[in-house]
Amino acid sequence: MQEKPILELEHISKRFPGVQALTDARMDVRAGEVHALLGENGAGKSTLIKIISGVHKPDTGDLRMDGQRVVFNNPREAQAKGVATIYQELSLYPELTVAENIFMGHAPRGLLGSVDWRAMRRRAEEILLSLNITDLGVDDKIGTLTVGKRQRVEIAKALSFNARILIMDEPTAALTEADVQRLFGIVRLLRERGVGIVYISHRLEEVFTLADRVTVLRDGHYVDTKAVREVTSEQLISMMVGRTIDNLFPKLPAQIGEPVLEVRNLWRKPLCKGVNLTLRAGEIVGLAGLVGSGRSEFAQTVFGFTPAQSGDILINGKRLDIRNPGEAMRHGIAYVPEDRGTQGLIRQMRLRENVSLAVLRSVSHSGFIDNRAEHELADKSIGSLQIRAFSGEQVVNKLSGGNQQKVVVAKWLAAKPKILIMDEPTRGVDVGAKAEIHRLISELAQQGIGVLMISSELPEVLGMSDRIVVMREGEIVAEFSREEASQEKVVAAMMRDAHSAVSAQGAAT
Amino acid sequence: MTTTTHTTDDSQEQMSSRIRSFLLRQEVILLIISLLAVMFLAFGSDRFLTTDNLLNQGRLLTEIGLVALSMTFIIITGGIDLSVGSILGLCAIILGVMWDPNGAFALPLEVAVVICLLVGTLAGFVNGLIIVRLGVPPLITTLATLALYRGLAEGISQARSVRGYPEEFYVLGQGEFLGVPTQLWVLLIFCILTAVILSRTIFGRAIYAIGNNELGARFSGVPVGRYKIMIYTFSGFMAAMAAWIFVSRVSTTRSDMGSGLELDAIAAVVLGGTSIFGGSGSIIGTIIGFILIQLLKNGLALSGVTTDGTIVVIGTVLILAILINNFIQRRSGNG
Amino acid sequence: MTTAAPTLGQPTRLSRSRGLASRFLVFATSQEFVLLLVVVLLFAVVGNTNPRYLAERNVLNIFNGNAYIAVAAVGMTMVIISRNIDISVGSLIGVLGTVSGSLAINGYPIWSSWLVPILLGGVVGAVIGFMVAYLRIPSIVVTLGLLSILKGGLITVTNGAWITDMPDTYFLAQMRTPEISLLGINIPAIPSPIVIMIVLTLLAALWMRYSPTGRAIYAVGGNAEAARLSGISEKRIIMTVFIINGLCVGIAAVLWATQLSIIQSTVPAGLELQVITSAVVGGVSIMGGVGTTIGAMLAAILLSAINSALVFINVSPYWFRAVVGVLILITVLTDLLRRRRTQA
Repeated sequence: MQEKPILELEHISKRFPGVQALTDARMDVRAGEVHALLGENGAGKSTLIKIISGVHKPDTGDLRMDGQRVVFNNPREAQAKGVATIYQELSLYPELTVAENIFMGHAPRGLLGSVDWRAMRRRAEEILLSLNITDLGVDDKIGTLTVGKRQRVEIAKALSFNARILIMDEPTAALTEADVQRLFGIVRLLRERGVGIVYISHRLEEVFTLADRVTVLRDGHYVDTKAVREVTSEQLISMMVGRTIDNLFPKLPAQIGEPVLEVRNLWRKPLCKGVNLTLRAGEIVGLAGLVGSGRSEFAQTVFGFTPAQSGDILINGKRLDIRNPGEAMRHGIAYVPEDRGTQGLIRQMRLRENVSLAVLRSVSHSGFIDNRAEHELADKSIGSLQIRAFSGEQVVNKLSGGNQQKVVVAKWLAAKPKILIMDEPTRGVDVGAKAEIHRLISELAQQGIGVLMISSELPEVLGMSDRIVVMREGEIVAEFSREEASQEKVVAAMMRDAHSAVSAQGAAT
Repeated sequence: MTTTTHTTDDSQEQMSSRIRSFLLRQEVILLIISLLAVMFLAFGSDRFLTTDNLLNQGRLLTEIGLVALSMTFIIITGGIDLSVGSILGLCAIILGVMWDPNGAFALPLEVAVVICLLVGTLAGFVNGLIIVRLGVPPLITTLATLALYRGLAEGISQARSVRGYPEEFYVLGQGEFLGVPTQLWVLLIFCILTAVILSRTIFGRAIYAIGNNELGARFSGVPVGRYKIMIYTFSGFMAAMAAWIFVSRVSTTRSDMGSGLELDAIAAVVLGGTSIFGGSGSIIGTIIGFILIQLLKNGLALSGVTTDGTIVVIGTVLILAILINNFIQRRSGNG
Repeated sequence: MTTAAPTLGQPTRLSRSRGLASRFLVFATSQEFVLLLVVVLLFAVVGNTNPRYLAERNVLNIFNGNAYIAVAAVGMTMVIISRNIDISVGSLIGVLGTVSGSLAINGYPIWSSWLVPILLGGVVGAVIGFMVAYLRIPSIVVTLGLLSILKGGLITVTNGAWITDMPDTYFLAQMRTPEISLLGINIPAIPSPIVIMIVLTLLAALWMRYSPTGRAIYAVGGNAEAARLSGISEKRIIMTVFIINGLCVGIAAVLWATQLSIIQSTVPAGLELQVITSAVVGGVSIMGGVGTTIGAMLAAILLSAINSALVFINVSPYWFRAVVGVLILITVLTDLLRRRRTQA
């Protein structure tokens, strides 16, 4: 295990507009090891692997392969050097066969430069066999395959480039248990063959079963690299958390009243599995969980965007059937969605038109929009949320990220909700706007609105919430009061599987 | 940070006037082109700028105009309806066959007209259902129903035309009211109606929202599916209205009526500044669009160009209009 | 389909034999096979009600008379696979056919009256491709505009004059291959349109299967984002597709014109619809990314057979277009259903 690394990264920094994604990060990968990359949401893992795979170029720092400095201008150059990546969103062609997908772009050529199907099918079969994959026909169409099988095709595709480094970004996120076991088998096989594997996972259990070493990132900074044998899950968690809480507006005390929203055994497959939750007037409940844990899916089910398959939603104690967002709004529910660009705003339209879109009825008479009322609403929103815009006539696209987010919030406040669900309310927002949004949330709670805040930023969740609820794989797995919550406890709940070896290990130490 | 809302009145006014002038640009350009064309054509023929001629042109543009109005809604949502010409043909045939005193039905004319309008509305509703509920893209759906509805018209009519309607039926297509062709009043009413709906109502606002960002509109509680079905249904109804007027104008029904109508309607809408990608456009633009097309047709005809020659001009104008529109949008997108 | 989950290391023969069986299943449920079945059934049923339907002359006519539609459908197939559409094909066939006839009667060599329209088709295709790929105008609008330009332009220029008295050597579509006697088997003379249709369809099918560019068309239509990541130039592919489509339309126009003794200088009504229908019914997914030219050819034959069958079973041919519309809808809906099932 003490051989020279195939890949080394040193002093890697990367800045995107508005965020410093990586600061002086480093990592190395040896032949025949599984190297886990750990960190919270937004710790910089994705940026790091995109730098390794040639999607991004680092602002500063070096990549070295076999000791030689390399520069990847695009993913193809990285591929040519033997770096293959399997992304979460699979990049296959659904209408083409397994063999073609494996060799898209570098198919074996025959007569007159034509595609040699026979050779392509044979080599595809060889690759699949070398991975002990026998339940995939090289002529099967991708569109007819399960997610697990598609992933195996992706791995085969990576090997068709003779990959020496294989990057796997949360490969088990969408897999069934059986598929996970098969994936582990394949990963071990590749390790024996000397492939260096960078493995990103949020499941600590997987890190302990599969990985040899682990590197932890926090806030874009390198924390440490350890041999997996020498660390406990508690140590890893404490390495990941401990982000500083700065620029957070202090939470204001609010009177907590009767329950406004009660959710009982709510089902909407695949990511909302029997959720129970109560939200009271004036209360801020923080909903924590990893990306893909079902937080947004749960919220969108309550909001009627993806109506529930079973279970009850009670508002002010009354059981209601919410079939679409319009009905949810009439019952006083508002949902500030996660992606303001595609979900929250109509960016090509004016600020005034965006703010009024969800409440057009309140600024109109028998279907006709009252221009003056609409202008007043826009001006009021600009004033009360301190949106930096010339006027309500400004096209939203031209505003900064923080101001766009304020427009989304303004739009939903205009609906005068009793229940406000905010999905990542401060994502991609600068520090000043962040504090303003936090102040606003506090004030809304003081006015008696029940706020459910989904956030991937732990300091925000801990600082703002009266109560913290943790979701994992579509279920609520833990609940903490403001007093008992700590970053360690919340992260542990987010990452730990119910029957995980980690918890047993944790109990033993 | 606190001073930001205190922009001076001056700059605010400047800003809004600039926005307004930009908004109007496509329409203004179009209006100027129209005036130039009118002047040019007036030189070409002294019969062009006569009240008689212009009012007569009004008769001819009504059918295209009606269909272009509803097409504006559809294109703003990012859709398209290629079947309008076929719906017109089908409705015309239905009207004739239902009324035909020697035929199987021999219904009163009023009833036949009502059935004609219902069939058109139903045809549009079917388009909407297939597009929204089954998720077939509008282009393919209406291409299929273009064949289907025209085929039904041909199958039902068996190439027989129906003529000899009672005199009072021709009032709509050939008569006058207050010195102006009757159908122009109908067109005027629908122009005002659609313009008000699109620019002043909740429904109209939602149409723009759908065209710009359908997902965002759904998250804002807009009943996207229902609204889309409504506009395709409306498109069918307008095609049926056009059929009624068409039959009344030409005194006969034939199954090939209205073929190619979709081209004229789409050309008028796009010429009027409505983006083919959806999200922006106006009824005023469409009105100028179809008037310009009709003036071009007429002026060219009077200058001795054949009707087929004018089709060439329309096709060219359509492509040029989109090119210019793309160019303007790209410029404003960068600036 | 995915019931058994074999454990690691099972013998490979299992996968091979399963491959054969499943490959047969894939073939049996393929659009091409289903279409072939429908065509045969149609011949059997209609021929049973009216034996004259199966008369050699009629059958030949079904294959021969509409071969030019199948040829145009080859290009259309590629266009639709790349997620575009061309509704100007009907007009272009009319224009190029007239060009061909005019050349023939104005003393130009016969070969030029065959070749020039084809090249001209390629040029028009390049123009469309340029506007779609580089100027980013949706293909529906470009070809809608072009449709009216060509249609109106044709009549304006020719005044609808008929072209007659073409030289005898002009009628390419009325020629036949010589009868060959090979090893005692007599191969009858085959009309040239059928030969051209089959050769072109197979050539295109082979090209789309074996050339890297052909495969890239599927990639662009199926997953444009991924195609870009694999270094495929979307613009170049779309350009290529429209040029090939133009060449196919040119060949179709020559076949169309040379089977007529009078070229009417007008565009056959609804022709583009027949071409698009052939491509769509032939297995081209409306979402882009699937389909073969062989299916399109079979679908063109099916349409032709239906059109002819209507007469023989005493249904007015005026219903033909309604049948076409229903056929498109049925195909598109089954395609959607199939997708939904495989995705679920």
